[in-house]
Amino acid sequence: MSKIYCLLSIMALCVILVPVIAYLFGGWFAYWGHALLAIVFAVLAVFIRTRYYWEED
Amino acid sequence: MGTPVPEVGPEVMVGVVVAIAAFLTISILLGFFMRKKAKSFGEWLVGRRDIGPLVTGFALVASYLSGWAIFGNAGLGYAYGWSGSWLIGTTCVAGTSLCLVIGYRMRRYVALGARTVPEMLRVRFESRTVQALAGFAMIILLIVYSVGQYKAMATVWKITTGTPFYGSLLVTAVLVLLYLIVGGYTGTQWVSCFQGIVLTIVGWTLGITTLIWAGGLGEISRVIETQTFTAPNGTQTGIPLDSYTLPLPPPEGLAFPGVDYVGVIAAMFMFLLMATGFPHNISRFLGTRKITKREYWIMLLILIVGGLTPLWIGLAGFAARTKWGNIFMTSEYYPMYGDSAPVYASISAGGVPLVSLFAASVFAASVATIAGMVMIMATNITRDFIHNAYPEASPKKMLWLTKLMLIPFIAIPLYWTFTSPPPILSEFMAGSAVAQAGIFFFVVGVSMYWKRATKWGAIATIIYGLVVTLLHPKAYGKIVGLYHWGYWALLLMFGSALIYVLVSLTTKPLSKEKLEKLFPK
Repeated sequence: MSKIYCLLSIMALCVILVPVIAYLFGGWFAYWGHALLAIVFAVLAVFIRTRYYWEED
Repeated sequence: MGTPVPEVGPEVMVGVVVAIAAFLTISILLGFFMRKKAKSFGEWLVGRRDIGPLVTGFALVASYLSGWAIFGNAGLGYAYGWSGSWLIGTTCVAGTSLCLVIGYRMRRYVALGARTVPEMLRVRFESRTVQALAGFAMIILLIVYSVGQYKAMATVWKITTGTPFYGSLLVTAVLVLLYLIVGGYTGTQWVSCFQGIVLTIVGWTLGITTLIWAGGLGEISRVIETQTFTAPNGTQTGIPLDSYTLPLPPPEGLAFPGVDYVGVIAAMFMFLLMATGFPHNISRFLGTRKITKREYWIMLLILIVGGLTPLWIGLAGFAARTKWGNIFMTSEYYPMYGDSAPVYASISAGGVPLVSLFAASVFAASVATIAGMVMIMATNITRDFIHNAYPEASPKKMLWLTKLMLIPFIAIPLYWTFTSPPPILSEFMAGSAVAQAGIFFFVVGVSMYWKRATKWGAIATIIYGLVVTLLHPKAYGKIVGLYHWGYWALLLMFGSALIYVLVSLTTKPLSKEKLEKLFPK
């Protein structure tokens, strides 16, 4: 369970860092950086789903 | 800057008409071929629950990429610079991944007899009231969403054919009707999959081509940082576009999501919740077959590639600003303004082939989306209201009534766009997106996982969401002093969450036996 909380914390960080990067760096770094953070979030969300909460019919 | 805006010759018009005709023909052929295979209306809606990850993934991309993402994002980048990126949706992949994670459980409700999202709610809460109310909310919010789609297609048609804007709106309505009559909508998942592939390829191509045309990332960044905000109608301000917030003067300026970091945070939550909250998105899982873990990852890969498309479209807007400055914000370009940018950029950067493909994509994203939404709204009336109240009504009468209802649902958003076209369409559509995110993320998405959710929680959330929607800063919010988009959006989304949880916890859930059917161990 602690692993899931760890992964969820990283996902939360991916959200929190978005405005921080925009404020601190701006420009293209923020534009593509936001997309990268969103991809990390997405990969972790699917990892948690498939690894810990997989549903069989 | 200093590059002249290109003249649009007859070759552009021919290219655009041919591309749209080709796209329409392929969609119709796909639609007819797949319809032949469906043996009943229910099977037509959700297939035989045999749709695989590739088709579901690209269909989800197509339903997500509407006129906002595939067209309007360029207007955002063009008009607002970096601060427009909050509505461009640089983080949208996070939201679509939540839809992927949550939406798969929709399949369970198909097995229990649901064929549409409101029907899924009837099954979940054993309540026809929830079904009807959800149908009503969808009608209201989808009408607003359709206005932006009309503007997208009409803008492309006006620029590429020279038809006046209001004539182009009528052409758009005719195209929607034609699309519905000839059956472009009937292929459902398969047509949507085809559209998703086209939108992704054209979006990436447009972005990369305009990036090269404008001189690369460095040049775009350099020029954007010298620009200042110009309001639609040409009024110049001294507010620079070099930051991720744009401090527009209050009170009207507060209605822009990127005005400060409160608006920014609200926009981020909107993107996190709306992909799941869009009923036309999550319903894509109704026809999905059982998929393996590996196939789940394939769907994610498709969503990532497709989900980056809006960023490329936004980039086309930045490129147009780099080349032409604020010219499209002047009254000469009324009522299209910054939304004109991607069309001219596609002509300049890629000539007739690119603008033709781009026009076909906007056709796919807007006309097909309007058609889909008109069908959903008409079905809401017949299935969620009339059939709900009179279950004995004959299927033949219901079908005729559905066809009849197509006319008002094509006409209402058309009239709206005629009388008050939104200056920047994506900004306008975000109002509807917040409401769909706030209401349906919880009522549909969370309810599939939270046993304690009750019908009263769902009803209260829908009513609350619709009332707060009316208080949008550009609607009735001014009356109560609600000028700030960010506060309004947070009030709607987090207020909906709070009401949903509190009312559910204080009312009675379904019985244990019934819940065991919905939540088998």
